[in-house]
Amino acid sequence: MSADTNNRSAPSGAALPEAYWQSAFTESWGVLSRHTIGRIGMILLGLFALMALASFIPPLIDPIYNPMSGVDPIISYTSGPSWRHWLGTDFIGRDIFSQLLAGARIAFMVGISAAFMSIFLGTAIGMLAGYSGRWGDTLLMRLADMIMVMPTLLVLLVMAALFGQLNIWTIVLLIALFRWPGVARVIRSQTLTLKHRPFIESARIAGASHLRILVRHILPNVLPLALLYMSFRVTSAIIIEAALAFLGFGDPGTVSWGMMLQWVWKTGHMFQAPYWLLPPGICISLLTLAFYMLGRAMEEVLDPRMRREDPEE
Amino acid sequence: MKLNRKYLPPAFFNGSQPYRWAVLLCLLAWAVTAGACRQPSVEGILRIGLPEEPRTLNVWLASDAASRTVLRQIYQPLYEDDPETLEPVPWLAAALPVYDAARLTYTITLRPAHWSDGTPLTSSDVAFTARMIQEFKIPMLSSRWKQVERIETPDAATVVVHLKRPLATFLSRTLEAAIVPAHQWEPIAQAARESAKPLAYLLNYNMKDPVGSGPFLFKQWRRGDYLYLQRNPHYFATGQTIADRKMGPYIEGLLFKVYGTTDVAMLALRQGDIDMFWQGIQPGYVAILNKNPHIKVFDSQKSALYYMGMNTRRPPFSDVHLRRAVALMIDKGFLVDRLLQGRGTQLFSIIPPGNRQWHNPDVPRYGEGLKYRERLRRAYELLLSAGYSWEMPPFGSQGDIQSAKGLRRPDGTPMGKVIILTPPADYDPARAISGTMIQEWLQALGIPAMARPMEFSALIDQIKNRRDFDAFILGYGRLSIDPDYLGSFFESSGDKTRGLNTSGYRNETFDRLAEESQCAMDPVIRHQMIMEMQRIIMEDVPYVPLYVPNMIEAAYTARFDGWVPMLDGIGNRWSINMVRPTSGRHD
Repeated sequence: MSADTNNRSAPSGAALPEAYWQSAFTESWGVLSRHTIGRIGMILLGLFALMALASFIPPLIDPIYNPMSGVDPIISYTSGPSWRHWLGTDFIGRDIFSQLLAGARIAFMVGISAAFMSIFLGTAIGMLAGYSGRWGDTLLMRLADMIMVMPTLLVLLVMAALFGQLNIWTIVLLIALFRWPGVARVIRSQTLTLKHRPFIESARIAGASHLRILVRHILPNVLPLALLYMSFRVTSAIIIEAALAFLGFGDPGTVSWGMMLQWVWKTGHMFQAPYWLLPPGICISLLTLAFYMLGRAMEEVLDPRMRREDPEE
Repeated sequence: MKLNRKYLPPAFFNGSQPYRWAVLLCLLAWAVTAGACRQPSVEGILRIGLPEEPRTLNVWLASDAASRTVLRQIYQPLYEDDPETLEPVPWLAAALPVYDAARLTYTITLRPAHWSDGTPLTSSDVAFTARMIQEFKIPMLSSRWKQVERIETPDAATVVVHLKRPLATFLSRTLEAAIVPAHQWEPIAQAARESAKPLAYLLNYNMKDPVGSGPFLFKQWRRGDYLYLQRNPHYFATGQTIADRKMGPYIEGLLFKVYGTTDVAMLALRQGDIDMFWQGIQPGYVAILNKNPHIKVFDSQKSALYYMGMNTRRPPFSDVHLRRAVALMIDKGFLVDRLLQGRGTQLFSIIPPGNRQWHNPDVPRYGEGLKYRERLRRAYELLLSAGYSWEMPPFGSQGDIQSAKGLRRPDGTPMGKVIILTPPADYDPARAISGTMIQEWLQALGIPAMARPMEFSALIDQIKNRRDFDAFILGYGRLSIDPDYLGSFFESSGDKTRGLNTSGYRNETFDRLAEESQCAMDPVIRHQMIMEMQRIIMEDVPYVPLYVPNMIEAAYTARFDGWVPMLDGIGNRWSINMVRPTSGRHD
């Protein structure tokens, strides 16, 4: 797929002038912002980021808008949208709109931190495996294979059943721990091709240590690929967290979209309160879609061969 | 299915498209109709939805609700509770038992009755059932028969039970256990005796064709599909009048179908695919069910207890003042109005008010009807006078509410984190959210409480076996009418691994009362004792009773009606005996 990511940067390796990075960034940004799918993705992401930021506001207006513990003093049942509650209330009179905002915050938190952790792990392990070669490579990659075949959601469900309810950060950590092998494989193959490039050879001859070669010369060349994978990992982390919460194994102390869906389902309002069922469902789909679109666009930025408007192709 | 080339005309394989399609269509039609015909015809048959597949037809193993629901239609007890007075009325027995205080005996006369295979039901069956339960120490039942010394059967219709000591619960608990046929179980019991582990042999015995004395007999069970019971022609009560009701059954059979999710079951009910769903439903469904003119929603009181238990064995809840303050802070009105949508009752004593005969309303009713500010003030003053101190108390100098911080116990140690264990939200949203709400209320008082939902079996293990917890929210869904559970929940002897006294409550006065009330044969004296026991418990509050939800059930009445609502809902023996086809029109 995008094995040629380094086309642009390969000739000069790591020690590049500031101006190169700047121009590379402007060029990439140009491609990204001209890309329709990428643009839609970014607009959607921006909206959700706004929602996540806005989630701090409602509880400040009135404690009844606290997504977890605030209830309307008058409404003690589920009610449709009104001026007081823009999306209505849930079955005990909590405001659905403020729950939705808080859910955006949790989704971002879970998605980005889990993706970041798994990318960090995957990149480190992938580079190490690719660079060390021989049995170090074999060992790490077999480990990756073993973890890759484990069904993440199932393992998480079993863990939740064994240890009682999981804290949201434990969930994030577990998702990260189960989702790095895919990244590690791609980064490893990229490292393998880089390893034999002349600029690495010359760095080695010049006396650079292994650590220096890895960090200064290989890392900058695999990073774009890692970032691309990050946007896909965000998607899967959000979906796993939502599924977990929907099945009743989410962190009970947080209001996530999956949790909202679980409440609407378990209290028997599934087919009666569309104003309660639809918003979290739509939000999960749109946010994951946004990250996916951004990933697709980034893929084209990083791999010039995929750019359709390119006259040479 | 694999088509055999030999039996098909050659045209099927070469060319002739229409012919091939016609054959395939015929096969398809046959498959569909054959599939539909597998279930018994529904005329006169009551179709009941179950929330899960029954686990077994072995009456000794049946601890799950679905198996018990099915087996209750097959095996019958000697006495059954009257739907209105809740007093025991003779069922298989002909009259109430005669108690001889001098000889410590109960004499029971049986009605003429037959098992579903036609053999007569006699006193030896009763004696056999009791002996079997005692001999094999069958879980959940053996404790009820522990005080029985021996049983005599002077004739086929008379049973004389000799007790070791007077037992107040003998009629309401022991004699309401189901009777099994000796002629079916004796060979199995014999084989069990000869095996290495008799009880395990008995419990694991795969009973395929249970013989009973109930209104229905077992006919067919397709796992994952349906379970069919047919009307028992030998049923003793048909045509008789028990508790002023002329017994049926007025239906030809019972068809149990399993619905994994309530949503699907509700859809089936609204479309008339089932006539009743044998499971309490969430209040959220009521609005949509009420839109269907054929559906009747029954809202019955429950003999149940939902409570927060506290660990009195260790600090911080070893202090009764703290327990009372916690009880004051919990807004039961909120829990009932919001979480139960008003379909429930606030609980102030361990025995629920639905059990009119035994409930004691005259106990300390913590925080009843108080506003938030008032309950916070009272709890604060209570803790203050007990020696608790705050870095920042819940009330400021002007009496304004502020977020309390740095609570210290009377001995000066800071109040550590207090964890409230609850079942997970998918098991019971009401209990899980109660935990979160109680957490908020306790935090307002400065108690660093945290609700933690936990998978159900892990939760039970933590509370009953490891006994390592601060507080928990649980419930007893079906309490017996007889209040002897009150003693078992709190007597010191129950404070052991797997014991029922989960909060580790110890009180000698209570122990003595519990012991005496079991032997008190005078109903008036026993009543006084039970009232006093409830008062003691609510003084010391090892459990804070929270609420009892109503039993909300729904039935589709276009085909059948006549359900008998009683305590714990319409899913009872009386309903099954009284439900009859709606006259005239069918759908």
